[in-house]
Amino acid sequence: MLTKKGKYGLKALVHLARLPVGQLAFVNDIATGNNIPKKFLDAILGELRSAGFVQSRKGKDGGYRLARPADEIKVGHVVRVLDGPLAPIPCASRTQYQRCEDCNEATCQVRHLMLEVRQAIAEVLDQRSLAEMRDIVGDEDFSAALKIQA
Amino acid sequence: MTGRVTPNSIIIVGGGASGVVLAAHLLKSPNPDLRVSLIEKRPHFGQGMAYSTLLSAHVLNVSASGMSAYADDPGNFLRWLLERGIATPEQAPVYAPRSVYARYLKELLDELETREQQTGRLRLIREESLSISPTASGVEVTLANGTSVVAHLAVLATGHDEEPGAGQGHAIRMGSEADTALDPEAQVLVLGTGLSMVDAFLSLEQRGHRGAIVAVSRRGLLPSPHRKGNPIKLDVADIPLGTQLSYFVGWFRDLIRENQKAGIDWRDVVDGLRPFNQKIWQNWPSSAKRRFVEHTKAWWDIHRHRMAPEVYTRVAEAVQAGRIRLVAGRVVEIAAGDGFSVQVQSRHTQQLERFDVTRIYDCTGIARDISTTSNSVVRSLVERGLARPDPLRLGLDVTANCEVIAGDGTVSAKILAVGPLTRGTFFEIDAIPDIRVQCARLSKRLLG
Repeated sequence: MLTKKGKYGLKALVHLARLPVGQLAFVNDIATGNNIPKKFLDAILGELRSAGFVQSRKGKDGGYRLARPADEIKVGHVVRVLDGPLAPIPCASRTQYQRCEDCNEATCQVRHLMLEVRQAIAEVLDQRSLAEMRDIVGDEDFSAALKIQA
Repeated sequence: MTGRVTPNSIIIVGGGASGVVLAAHLLKSPNPDLRVSLIEKRPHFGQGMAYSTLLSAHVLNVSASGMSAYADDPGNFLRWLLERGIATPEQAPVYAPRSVYARYLKELLDELETREQQTGRLRLIREESLSISPTASGVEVTLANGTSVVAHLAVLATGHDEEPGAGQGHAIRMGSEADTALDPEAQVLVLGTGLSMVDAFLSLEQRGHRGAIVAVSRRGLLPSPHRKGNPIKLDVADIPLGTQLSYFVGWFRDLIRENQKAGIDWRDVVDGLRPFNQKIWQNWPSSAKRRFVEHTKAWWDIHRHRMAPEVYTRVAEAVQAGRIRLVAGRVVEIAAGDGFSVQVQSRHTQQLERFDVTRIYDCTGIARDISTTSNSVVRSLVERGLARPDPLRLGLDVTANCEVIAGDGTVSAKILAVGPLTRGTFFEIDAIPDIRVQCARLSKRLLG
């Protein structure tokens, strides 16, 4: 499941993807603009930096920006870095497998189905880029846009 | 001899292993109008450079179960070996001589030829291709005998380069015309310490050579031996994609460490990753690809591209006995006189060491700048702007659908490529297990 960490990380990256290429954003602005606790955001941005998705500059004019164009970074790339292997439940992972105390993993039908589900999750998240996610128009905005057109 | 353009006509330029494997997949199509022309300049189809060696010590670097020509029938080659009594079921894993594999491909092609004799769907042309030119309705391939063949599209399957790369100076290829008789006591130098060097060592042994072999590469690393095992199971959901190289390498090292703690051999982890290698490569930013090629590839190659255990034993013994000397360093100067005086600077101490050798063999392997290729078809495509090297110059720039990309960035629907030429896009595409999957996908896309 997508954790809060994963969700905040994606929101922060969408924030950066909205900026003109190369422009830096203050951590404070990202935090307040997206309702993310600042300390948590610092840690998240640190991990995104070590994976090569964002770059930072220190100092008064410092901040963060995307390290690569937003259409090159896939949502699945980011979620794996922040949340680990894509998995709907902890037992449905090959590398970060966590045994359920209350069931036998070899015969558990739920786990087998969830292994299939994770393939589907990967297929969706690895197809969608940060730029595409940024440009998604929410339902409300969409109806508003229709009204304007009409 | 200008043939009539028939629907679904396809020319395969290069009748080595990749070309034969592609033809076999194309001809699975029931389409009666399909026309496949396979062009090979060597006297024998299915051999190319890789499988033309007659030396029985030159065995496949992949066990038989990985060498089937068909993506949907992985047991095809092993069954072929068992049916002919060349291998027994108890022997597995079997590392068959490459000449036996050439025979397998030849028989496979013979069978196809017999089967398609009535239909006329397969045509084998023993001639050198000189160039490919797009025409209004397709492509025209000009041959060395002055004739040409036309079709709707052409697929390049020209494989590895036959000539040493530029800048290798006086080095020659083992088994080439320049590789004349040699004083058995002479000291020789080999550029490269990988699987090609191992092949060269085995050839020298076969010829009764007794002199020392100095093998030089940047890191002086020898490939590892295979060991029987079971690759670990991974899903794409487990693997970090699209990160910086250091992040990925850190993840992979941890994965190996954890598995080793559980008593699992590192080979099973490396092999478990294999189904995803193309995906990992394609998702990396170009900076990660470049860094990998420069810094990590040598380390990766010796773990990923391994040799049969029996071969490793022979090489390791020769290293121990001093017959082979592995040197990590770079050649700074070659002075030609009676023989060659080669100055090598050590990677670790920066010290210069001089080796007086009678011959220098080029075993630097298969990576070289495609724009300097000795293959006239590929070179002429690049020179006319119909193709271009990929950004890392590992091969030709192609799309994930194997379409060749022209100098101006336009994608060709008529000229395609498979096999080692497509390394820039597919990376892990030198060996049959990957080539057969690529050919199966391309056939499906072209013919449905």
